[in-house]
Amino acid sequence: MIFLIEYNRNEGSIVTFRKFVDSQRREAEDARLEIELELNRQGVEHEVVLLEAASEEALHRTHQRYFADLTEILKSAINS
Amino acid sequence: MKNPLSKTQIDLLGDRLRIGSHTEEDLRLLDDYRLSFGEAYETVVQKIRVHGESPTGRQPKSRLSIVEKLKRQKTRLSKMQDIAGCRVVVADIVQQDEFITTLKMLFPEATVIDRRDKPSHGYRAVHVIVQISGKPIEIQVRTALQHLWAELSEKSSDVIDPTIKYGGGSDEWKSRLASISKSVAANEEFEKKYSYAVAAHEVFERTVAELPEHQESNPNAQELRGELEISRRRIEGLRAEKLRLWNVNANLLNKMISWLDDLKRQKQ
Repeated sequence: MIFLIEYNRNEGSIVTFRKFVDSQRREAEDARLEIELELNRQGVEHEVVLLEAASEEALHRTHQRYFADLTEILKSAINS
Repeated sequence: MKNPLSKTQIDLLGDRLRIGSHTEEDLRLLDDYRLSFGEAYETVVQKIRVHGESPTGRQPKSRLSIVEKLKRQKTRLSKMQDIAGCRVVVADIVQQDEFITTLKMLFPEATVIDRRDKPSHGYRAVHVIVQISGKPIEIQVRTALQHLWAELSEKSSDVIDPTIKYGGGSDEWKSRLASISKSVAANEEFEKKYSYAVAAHEVFERTVAELPEHQESNPNAQELRGELEISRRRIEGLRAEKLRLWNVNANLLNKMISWLDDLKRQKQ
């Protein structure tokens, strides 16, 4: 699956989260560019990234920073 | 298909992005450049998947991350090694070593950057750079503990101070992250020693178990059983030390949670 994430670093939170199946790669890439262009017009500095993972769960595991706060990251490590 | 950008065009684009004088057309050019890594990325990820690992791929680096790196390192855009790549998180350092060996077999020309012994501002991991048709693809291989540290550092950089992951931030942050990084390194170094010791013990145990019964009274067999008992006690000792090191690590993590809670309370 392909995941499109628009992430506000200062807030540490996700602004946009969209999922695409593998065959929609081109749509996902176009959607990412559209968001980047729009943010550029508005002068907003958000991170926009396309990630590909076996599942949403796998994505959460390898890119926890987008989904969890500092305390949650620490707690997940203690409980693992 | 569009004509590929020349190296000079790519670097000039990088210069405009670095100083913030880019146009919307430049962002489209950057997108074309990022997309030109697609085929190389697919080749690498497919090979890793066939091998049984399930990486999370970052097809192209975000514009924000590219611009930040251009500003931070004065790197030329055409020389950037991590435009596209993927990440594999494995359970422990033994599996990490095994997977690196596999990657070296899959991609014999790859460059391996091992940041475990010489961490970059506390960051420990192994990065493998594979060149496919002149396009570099970065494979990040982290253990679960190395990954925890990296997530912690990156999230701190997001919400506290963007310089933290490059060694900046307040002394308190630096000190806490450095302590956790060192503790993770100590746990992993010991994990390796422990795994090898357990593997050797298991072989020894099987060998002694296979001794014929009629050799029960054989002095050599009795001696071997005595040595096996010593080996068993040694493993128990190593297991206790492993647990102690993990508790040191968990204690550091718990202290950081309490400290963060205090900071939140002070802000309210």
